[in-house]
Amino acid sequence: MLNKLIQAVRALRPAPEVAAHCDGPCGVYDPADARIKAEAVLSMTKKILALEPPTGSDPASLATYHNTVSRYVSIKEEQAHGTKQDLLVLWTDFFKPQHLEQFPDLHTVFWNAAKLCSKCKVEVNLGAAEELMAACKKVHEMFWQAKGRDVTYYTAS
Amino acid sequence: MGGLRRFRVAGRSMLPTLEPGQEVLLDPRAYRKVRPRKGEIVVALHPARPGVRMIKRIAGKTADGDVLLHGDNPLESTDSRLLGPVRENQILGKVVATFR
Repeated sequence: MLNKLIQAVRALRPAPEVAAHCDGPCGVYDPADARIKAEAVLSMTKKILALEPPTGSDPASLATYHNTVSRYVSIKEEQAHGTKQDLLVLWTDFFKPQHLEQFPDLHTVFWNAAKLCSKCKVEVNLGAAEELMAACKKVHEMFWQAKGRDVTYYTAS
Repeated sequence: MGGLRRFRVAGRSMLPTLEPGQEVLLDPRAYRKVRPRKGEIVVALHPARPGVRMIKRIAGKTADGDVLLHGDNPLESTDSRLLGPVRENQILGKVVATFR
């Protein structure tokens, strides 16, 4: 009887909504964030290593050279730090304790990836930058597997 | 019973406690004399999305006295990174009854 009354009231006067939404509407996670920044780290590392210092002592050439090196280094540092931040957000916010059953090595993967970010930031290390890309690919695989979706990994460069 | 307001739950972040489409009764005057406490389900204004009312459980308080709100569904709820702490005055009331 009470139920019928409630049903009648509900039909007659719909209650306003309160949101109990999932991650989607407010924030969207995607490991592509980290991957794009890691690609920038790899690209900057390659560019720094390929840069030829000017042969003469022409002040303009020297200035251009120093300016270019500084810019490459600055971008590499910034993007390496950004990669780490993106990875930490996935690690600590997207992945939940339940996911550890699915991926027992989850903590190791993220910890090593975060350490690679630091290494890429501090050094000009092509090997580390390539390892960081591999780590991003691993995170991509875990992330989409956790979401039960088959998303092909790709890179922009 | 006077003064209670009905709301309908939209979304899955409060599962298994509250199902999408389920209705709740809110007491807007619940916190006039007492402070919100950990574990209570409340309706609050969303800190980042104006006009959106959300239903969450109080998970704790910050050092400044703001409340931390979480969904009951750990796999799907919006987490504290997205939400951030919510001021007590953004809480619209306490959920005092739920019905299907």
